[in-house]
Amino acid sequence: MFVAAVAMVDSRAGALVDRTGTQPGGIGAGFYPFWAAMLMFVCSGLVAYRAWRTPTPGTAAFEGRDAVFSVLKLIIPMVVFTVAIVWLGFYIVSALYMGLFARWLGRYRWIWVAASAVAMPVAIYAAFELGFRVALPKSVLYDAGILPF
Amino acid sequence: MLFVGVALGLVVGVLPGLGGTSAVAILLPITVIIARTSPTSAVILLAGVYWGALFGGVITSILFNIPGEPWSVVLLFDGFPLAKRRGKPGVALASSFMASFVGAFLATVLFTFFARALADIAISFGPPELFAVFIMSFATLIGLGAESPAKAVAMIGFGLLLAAVGFDTITGAPRLNFGQTALLSGISFVPVTIGLFGIGEILASAEESGIGYVERIAARVGFKDLVETFGELRKRIWLVLSTALIGFWFGTLPGHGATAGSFLGYGLARQWSKNKEDFGKGEISGIMAPQAAADSAAVGSLVPMIALGVPGSPTSAVIMAGLFIWGLTPGPLLFVEHHDFVWGLIASIYLGHLLTFVICLSAVPLLAMIMRIPYAILTPFIVLISIIGAYSLNNSMLDVFITIIFGLVGYWLRKTKYPLAPLVVAIVLGDSTEKTFRQSLIGSGGNPLVFAGSPLAATLLVLAVLLLALPIVRSLRRGRRRAALEQDTVGTAID
Repeated sequence: MFVAAVAMVDSRAGALVDRTGTQPGGIGAGFYPFWAAMLMFVCSGLVAYRAWRTPTPGTAAFEGRDAVFSVLKLIIPMVVFTVAIVWLGFYIVSALYMGLFARWLGRYRWIWVAASAVAMPVAIYAAFELGFRVALPKSVLYDAGILPF
Repeated sequence: MLFVGVALGLVVGVLPGLGGTSAVAILLPITVIIARTSPTSAVILLAGVYWGALFGGVITSILFNIPGEPWSVVLLFDGFPLAKRRGKPGVALASSFMASFVGAFLATVLFTFFARALADIAISFGPPELFAVFIMSFATLIGLGAESPAKAVAMIGFGLLLAAVGFDTITGAPRLNFGQTALLSGISFVPVTIGLFGIGEILASAEESGIGYVERIAARVGFKDLVETFGELRKRIWLVLSTALIGFWFGTLPGHGATAGSFLGYGLARQWSKNKEDFGKGEISGIMAPQAAADSAAVGSLVPMIALGVPGSPTSAVIMAGLFIWGLTPGPLLFVEHHDFVWGLIASIYLGHLLTFVICLSAVPLLAMIMRIPYAILTPFIVLISIIGAYSLNNSMLDVFITIIFGLVGYWLRKTKYPLAPLVVAIVLGDSTEKTFRQSLIGSGGNPLVFAGSPLAATLLVLAVLLLALPIVRSLRRGRRRAALEQDTVGTAID
């Protein structure tokens, strides 16, 4: 688990060093990010070295498959719905998202599922769009003039 | 007017992402109408939002482990553990409210008497001195990652890199944008913080306890909690007063506000404490010190704004924009020409904090009702609010994606036991650190001795080195083999 994490940090730092390897000498634009990357590179290398030297007991990243699934159950819908905002707008997505969780994880009756799916976007609309005057992303249907959100 | 401002500020403070700065900005158009009759009421409304948000951000930090505001990030370290593991949410909340109140009160007294003089000192700070101040705040943080200084330094490096994304502030050259136009404006620390703490925490808790489990912290600040907290406060009164003093001084420096002050306060409390290992596990000093410093810095940040027209923090910059809109010019003349306005503002600080304190103590059970909401509703709710917070910052979907990505990053860093605080601080302070560093070098024609030339900067840098050396000395004394390696790390940090 430890080694995997370090490898990730290491490669990320390495990639950035490679990218910014402009003049580390003077005080050009590349100077500062280069040394920041260097700092990170050296330190994560150090952590990697230490992890390599001291074998850690219990190297499993997750405790059992249930833990993996319960995290993935959150991550996958979150990512899918966030990307969907680009086309469906915030309000439709939030209704679907609330509904999915209420039905799938909460196992509520359909009437409660519908209630939470409707109440949340309405409350958000009232608070942000009307109250604070923050315009949230609208759907393609809004652009086409079919829906008001 | 003050009550409306404070109540709005509290609501805004509880909502993660929608910060005090944006709330003040959103209210600006409304204040124009109010200012026609009385500019003093207008500034009182805006200041009320600021004070309310300062307190409100605390509640979600302590009860949900989600920072409502950037300056309450530091309360995650000890506030949430005290509420959850030690089962004392009432004491945790009361501690932060009381410390806020004491810190703000001290700062306001200082403001009243020393506003002019302090503004003059702050303006005399050049880039080398400011750079030294930043380095010192990083140095205090390295000790925070008590488990591994190397990991803390690595996170600082990562944060500095993220802060460097976008246009270079000096030469205007694009950096680290990998050919993406959207990244040219840089990565703001707000979506990163929302992701790291808000989303990351949800994922981590889902793994720990499985889906369907509801974290319940019955939070009610009872009379007993108040008495207990008051006793704890009396034990720490000098700590609270001194961090408040330092926070105030820090706030008066242009460009920083409550956030930087809160981290400085936490670092100092930890350095001064006899039992450092209690920090991160619910140590009350770890709540009181940063909170006192944050509130005090927030008040301090108004000093250069009012006295000189140089805003001390983003929020006071927005309030200053308001002053201009209302036809007032901030600066020394404001004290002469509009003394009623200045005194109205000062009065609002006294009354606003008293009011917020009372509202907070009585409204906590109400706010804690949020805890009874079942997981299947609360989880998507927090995700959606995080998305709104990230989006409304710049009306940009990129910020939303950054939030989600950093949610995953934050979850992974949590699993691999990397400290998150140094990362956030480095992102927040990264730009200013670089700017002051390079301005100093440009001013001296590339001569690095400029930092030794200024007595103040040199003293601060030496202090920073000492702070960095402390963990090394400690581990050397333990005689561990690792010590030699850590020294290498710190050597790089000073470079």
